[in-house]
Amino acid sequence: MNFSRVLAILVKDLTDAMRDGRIIILLVLPIGLAVFWNATASDPDERPESTVAVVDEGRIGLAAALREAAADSVELETIAAADERAARRMVDAEDAASAVLAPAPVEGEPARARILLPENATPTAQSVVALVPAALGAAAGRPPSTEVSVQPLPTPASDQRAIDVLDTGTSFIVVGIVTLVTFVALLVVPMQTAEEIGTGTFGALRLAATGPEILAAKALSGLLFALLGTALTLLITQTAPDDPIPFYLAGLGLTVSLVGFGLLLGLASGNANQINTYGGFLIMPVLVIVFATLIVDSGPLLVLLDVLPFSQGARLMFDAVGPEDPFGAGLVAWLVLAAWCVVGFAVLTRVVARREA
Amino acid sequence: MPAVPEAGPPAVEVEDLEKHYGDVRALDGISFATAPGEVFGLLGHNGAGKSTTIRILTGRARPTGGRAEVLGHAVPDELDAVRSAINLVPETPTVYERATAEENLKLFCKLYGLPGERAGTALERVRLAHAAKRKVKTFSTGMRQRLLLARALLNEPRVLFLDEPTRGLDPQSARELHDLVREMAGGGSTIFLTTHDMNEADSLCDRVAFLADGRIVALDTPLALKLKLGGTPEVDVGLDDGSELRLGLEGADGRAELEQLVTAGRVRTLHSREATLADVFIALAGRSLDDEEPGAP
Repeated sequence: MNFSRVLAILVKDLTDAMRDGRIIILLVLPIGLAVFWNATASDPDERPESTVAVVDEGRIGLAAALREAAADSVELETIAAADERAARRMVDAEDAASAVLAPAPVEGEPARARILLPENATPTAQSVVALVPAALGAAAGRPPSTEVSVQPLPTPASDQRAIDVLDTGTSFIVVGIVTLVTFVALLVVPMQTAEEIGTGTFGALRLAATGPEILAAKALSGLLFALLGTALTLLITQTAPDDPIPFYLAGLGLTVSLVGFGLLLGLASGNANQINTYGGFLIMPVLVIVFATLIVDSGPLLVLLDVLPFSQGARLMFDAVGPEDPFGAGLVAWLVLAAWCVVGFAVLTRVVARREA
Repeated sequence: MPAVPEAGPPAVEVEDLEKHYGDVRALDGISFATAPGEVFGLLGHNGAGKSTTIRILTGRARPTGGRAEVLGHAVPDELDAVRSAINLVPETPTVYERATAEENLKLFCKLYGLPGERAGTALERVRLAHAAKRKVKTFSTGMRQRLLLARALLNEPRVLFLDEPTRGLDPQSARELHDLVREMAGGGSTIFLTTHDMNEADSLCDRVAFLADGRIVALDTPLALKLKLGGTPEVDVGLDDGSELRLGLEGADGRAELEQLVTAGRVRTLHSREATLADVFIALAGRSLDDEEPGAP
């Protein structure tokens, strides 16, 4: 493969795409949706929420002191628990993100408290821990003489859905980016390929470059559009993924897993307008799949989501975008994307070989 | 056996070439060879196999059987070896409509590893320098065809394939294209031409092959084909009394009658009726080139 030829075709494809109104709309639409959804879902005054189970044996008003200490930073809800056992049950049932156990203060000794914190506690729940010493001291009336210890708890069996954990605005941004990547791989790339086939320029290029060089350039243009579109979406929404490299890699992984099918579609159709007309129907299934990823956590639909590249790519991005890791999508998600990539490019290679014969 | 040109190693050589699409035999064992600097014409109906032959020779289709070589390299397997030495003016205007003429050519300069200045030179050769910065979508059919020719000239090909190159061109542009073809052939390039225009084939081609139903039914110089297959020579004679006569010159009677009329001073006009390549094709195929091939796409 001659990379200078690939580069020349790539530059041509990028330039040509920017002159094609149909492609510009396909790129702008998902970015616009992400920005719109994010803007309408986000509340600038919104504070992170957390719930704490409080065992206040000395009835010193610890719950109120905690809420007061958290007033500026966390929307804190406190639930009174009778004893440690009740508090543990609340944490296990995920009714509370953590628990504070405060024995009755003893005269002449520092006020004491023990915090029960699950190993997978959210950053908000962890931040509440930092508020306890001051709140305890204030409630016991003897700051700063307190002793606070943290007792880690095993991760409770979760029945929370991802949508309950994730920030709504950020979730919409990821939905928009998955839609963008899908549009690029399954509409923009095939439209460019189909137009080359339909107008005969593919044949003209074949005189000066090999088929794989032409297709590689088109796949690369898809990757670049996906990458730039993702960056632009994040820039406009002022979103900084917590794990930026895994986030971008997930976007690229999803693009690569789909782009082989996009090239196939372009080769098979040979009609860019047809793809543009009927490709609009693609948006609904993709949106349904990505939203389903957020709310479905069992049943046959979950099996379907487990094998689809859209949902696995979305899971990887949801995990990387915020501090929470709602799906814990790792190797399996990457393997699913890799499998789709291999299938797509294997079928593409076979089709190209048959066409050339 | 292929018809081998008289001198030099063949620029294009085809032997028992076959191409099948399912049950359809687009090419059914054709053989020929062309010499460097030769203008070779392939004539036939739509669907006769002309474009399929060009597709195979330019590496864009794989033959079902037989052998095809360009500049001594088998195509399409060894296409990389000859990629920079061949080019094609296709039948349809395969250009990037949203790009300018110059951008179209500069892309191919990059693909061929040539300096970008070649684009300007090629545009000047086809009289399109004034439209270099114009988007191709604003071009007329003739301008697009000239742009295709400019693209084909970029790499100064040793073998240039022209697929119906003057279709849609005005007479002036067609004449200029003919001059360019002659100039390239004079410089040693081999021109491989398909055309429906019998006058074009007659005036441009050193040799022509007639293709019918995937087979070559005749291959020779235009003159030899006309002499061999064009029927008997005839003359149209205009007489002093305003009447006209057509006399065949093959038999003694016709020649004697013409001599008698000339001697008697009765001849006012005299026109020879030479066979054309179209006559030759009708004699070979039983129908004119303008008639569609039965079942042609």
